[in-house]
Amino acid sequence: MQRTIVQEFTKGIGSENPIFRLVLGLCPALAVTTSLENGLGMGLAATFVLLCSNTIVSLIKGIVPPKIRIPIYIVVIATFVSITEMVMAAYAPDLHKALGIFVPLIVVNCIILGRAEAFAGKNGVFRSVVDGLGMGTGFTISLCVLAGIREILGDGKLWGYPVMGQSFEPVLLLILPAGGFFVMGLLMAALKMKDMRTAAMKRTQAIAEK
Amino acid sequence: MNITKLGFILGIFCVSAAFALSAVYESTKGKIAYEKEKVMQEALRSVLPEAKNIVLTTSPDGKEYYCGFAGDDTDVPPVGYAIVAAGKGYSSTIQTLVGLAPDGVIKGMNIMYQQETPGLGTKAVEIKYGEKDPWFQRQFIGSFGDTVAVDKDGGKIQCITGSTITSRAIASSIKQEVEWMRSKAILKPVQE
Repeated sequence: MQRTIVQEFTKGIGSENPIFRLVLGLCPALAVTTSLENGLGMGLAATFVLLCSNTIVSLIKGIVPPKIRIPIYIVVIATFVSITEMVMAAYAPDLHKALGIFVPLIVVNCIILGRAEAFAGKNGVFRSVVDGLGMGTGFTISLCVLAGIREILGDGKLWGYPVMGQSFEPVLLLILPAGGFFVMGLLMAALKMKDMRTAAMKRTQAIAEK
Repeated sequence: MNITKLGFILGIFCVSAAFALSAVYESTKGKIAYEKEKVMQEALRSVLPEAKNIVLTTSPDGKEYYCGFAGDDTDVPPVGYAIVAAGKGYSSTIQTLVGLAPDGVIKGMNIMYQQETPGLGTKAVEIKYGEKDPWFQRQFIGSFGDTVAVDKDGGKIQCITGSTITSRAIASSIKQEVEWMRSKAILKPVQE
């Protein structure tokens, strides 16, 4: 069944959310989400790379021999990551300093290669662009949610401003890498619970209608 | 398809990627160097506020430091010095720029590079809400000689909670550079 363009975009945010549904690209997601600023920066940088790589991969899909498609995809992705890093260093030096090692690591972000392989290599340019935008938006939103929770509870701040008041004692653990797993796990459990509730509700409705 | 043909196709992609990269590198090179220089100049001005004219100087053994002069005349004794100190912290080499008065009292310090644990070691560059400068770095201003050490080592620098390694790396790397400048007689000898 062919999806509509709108569905192609929204699937990245909801039903096929890269972090919470596909569980892809967890390394950068857990490592940089110590502050909202870093989360947003990482999300936008990855979205940009994803958009560029999806476009190019869908353009060259006709001339790429299937046997060597993965190395070619990696070359395309690595090129865009390097470009992003240089442009960032030149025009957003503060963000570049904050993201540090995680910009080069976008190369190995499985979302980007995953979308090239699973989507852009089989679909047209327009759909691939929409898919890249949707997946990037979903990734950015997920990162911001993770980062927001961790920054508020782990540091008592949001976007660098204190929000919890003087008496609040930050839960340092949440800022540390282990805390990333805790927040991530709890959020996924909450989503799963919601899914199960909805499924159970549908079942009861179906039985009631019989 | 044989391997030669596949290799050739992959080669074409790599060459075009290389061209794209070199084009971006060339066009951003100047701006990146300018941004780095700007950060350095701002840091130098903040650690040596009295100096109007800051000159990069190389010692006879090849180490670089900065001399700050009050006016355009560079033949008079400098009003202060600045030097980059580097110390191994918890997860990165922390680079600091230290400004010194001619007698070795620290006039200012600025952390230029660090990749310490977010929320712990990075408190070294944290600015508390409503304040203008990082509290950890402010402690160094006015310290001198043996007091440039963390409280656990008998100095007057208060450690960052949970980040003794970071605090110690910064304090000891600065102390080392000050002692080096004193040993080379760049700084005035200690007055007893």
